[in-house]
Amino acid sequence: MTNKPIEAAGICKIYKSFLGKKATVLHDISLDIEEGEIFGLLGPNGSGKTTLISIFSTLIFPERGSLSILGMDARRDSKEIRKVINISTAKPNFPWSLTVRENLRYYGMLYGLCGCTLSQAVEDQIDAFELGEFGDMTFENLSTGLKQRLSLAKAMLNNPRLLFLDEPTTGLDPDISIKTRRLIKRIHQEQNIPVLLSTHYMPEAEMLCDRIAFLRNGRIVAMDTPRNLKKHLGLGERIVITYEGSADIAALQSLPGVLGIKSDTQRLEIVIDRVEDSLDRIVKHFCTAKILNITIREPDLEDVFLELAR
Amino acid sequence: MNWQGELNRYLASAYKNWLISRRNVFTLFELFFWPMISLLSIGLLTRFLKVDGSMVSFLLVGAIALTILQVAQIDVAYVLLFDMWSKSIKNTFIAPVKSYHLVFGAMLFGIVRGSIVFFILAVVSSALFGFNFQEGGLLPVLIFLAGVFATAAVIGITVCISILTFGQKADVAAWSLSGMILLISGIYYPVDVLPPLLQTLARAIPLTYFLEYYRSVFIPGPHHLAIGIILAAFYLLLGLFLFDAAIERARRTGILLRLSE
Repeated sequence: MTNKPIEAAGICKIYKSFLGKKATVLHDISLDIEEGEIFGLLGPNGSGKTTLISIFSTLIFPERGSLSILGMDARRDSKEIRKVINISTAKPNFPWSLTVRENLRYYGMLYGLCGCTLSQAVEDQIDAFELGEFGDMTFENLSTGLKQRLSLAKAMLNNPRLLFLDEPTTGLDPDISIKTRRLIKRIHQEQNIPVLLSTHYMPEAEMLCDRIAFLRNGRIVAMDTPRNLKKHLGLGERIVITYEGSADIAALQSLPGVLGIKSDTQRLEIVIDRVEDSLDRIVKHFCTAKILNITIREPDLEDVFLELAR
Repeated sequence: MNWQGELNRYLASAYKNWLISRRNVFTLFELFFWPMISLLSIGLLTRFLKVDGSMVSFLLVGAIALTILQVAQIDVAYVLLFDMWSKSIKNTFIAPVKSYHLVFGAMLFGIVRGSIVFFILAVVSSALFGFNFQEGGLLPVLIFLAGVFATAAVIGITVCISILTFGQKADVAAWSLSGMILLISGIYYPVDVLPPLLQTLARAIPLTYFLEYYRSVFIPGPHHLAIGIILAAFYLLLGLFLFDAAIERARRTGILLRLSE
């Protein structure tokens, strides 16, 4: 067992209904997370992201598999682990009638903070997450964005050595989502702590994560850096050409490096390996046509997601 | 971690319950309205039935015991109920806490609230019905209160275990269990009048013995306080053990996740 932030092998989670019916929600999940990296769990709703993050954060236990968190056994040393990790959950909830400050104070007490250390930790997080003017507002009166900031502030109260963020921008307005992502980036840069983040927003994973695991139906179907995932899945760059006249589509399809062509009226979308190797050869096939516009687009994780979700 | 940090973990649930209670106007109903309704209705019944002084004490001791039991047990149950209602249970159990941290703080708050209710009811029953709660001195009062609070803690822990085992719908246990106590532990009548099976159950409840003890101050008779103390200590330890086991089971079954959704 090393001191990697997370080392998981063969994790399985089975839920049993009251009548004994079993549903396996995670199948044989194995992954490691390195020091200082932001690791993304990506997948559609119901793919098992929240269950997996709940297992890694020791909230629930798996049926099978071995799990080490920060070099400690997740089952045997769960109490010690909980002292040095923290989580910000999707659609966060806290006791409604407690103010921002009181909620932070309460959770700080649960983490064993006391006296000046507790007061300082609460005020530090209020400052760090710009909650000062809302400090005396009760949770039920906070906007969704402020609730998320409170959740992030709570997650930093105990100076965690490993941070879990479960869909931190779900349900937020786009501008608040961008702000939240910047906050996460800033936390990571300032503290250099490993972060496990689950999301179903591709831009979020692309912006924040060093590596990504795609989950589908409780299984990891791909795991790599965003760049390598796009490369390995053969998701080439896309050249979109709008034109007038005629183009030799059959000849284009036979060009080396061309992975696929989608053709609409006077518009072609060509998927290719490498634009720089093929562009001039492609353009030559439009000698009898007039090219009106060419755009080149690199594949994004949306494409990866669609490919893997098939 | 220093001892102050560990102490703060114990006090956290008292802090939370206090904050929630002081903003909830219905706390006044729990502390004053229902206790007074209970005391006055029983007190007036004794006048209507023209019972003698010792029987007045018998019934008022029962009414007071039931009221402070309900106040204190709900405070222990609130430690999970508040989290469940606000769907924040996940945040509590992701923190490094054990059952005894949660129960201790909540019980402390329950003792404070229960003691306030006891004081009010004792004063009112003295003024209106001539009941002198200090007739045998302060010690019997303290022993009696300790027994009621211990029983309340056991009931509160049972509610928490039910929630973690059966889910949200089990919160009905919070109100049902004290009803069971009312029926079988000799609140308004001696347990001797119960059918044999219920008598056996009554003898397994610590409050039965603490009621007998405190009533023996007003109506001299036998009591088995030692059994009550042993039972209370046993149930408290067993309750904490089962509470931790229920938390572990809830982590295995994933009910902790479902309670947060």
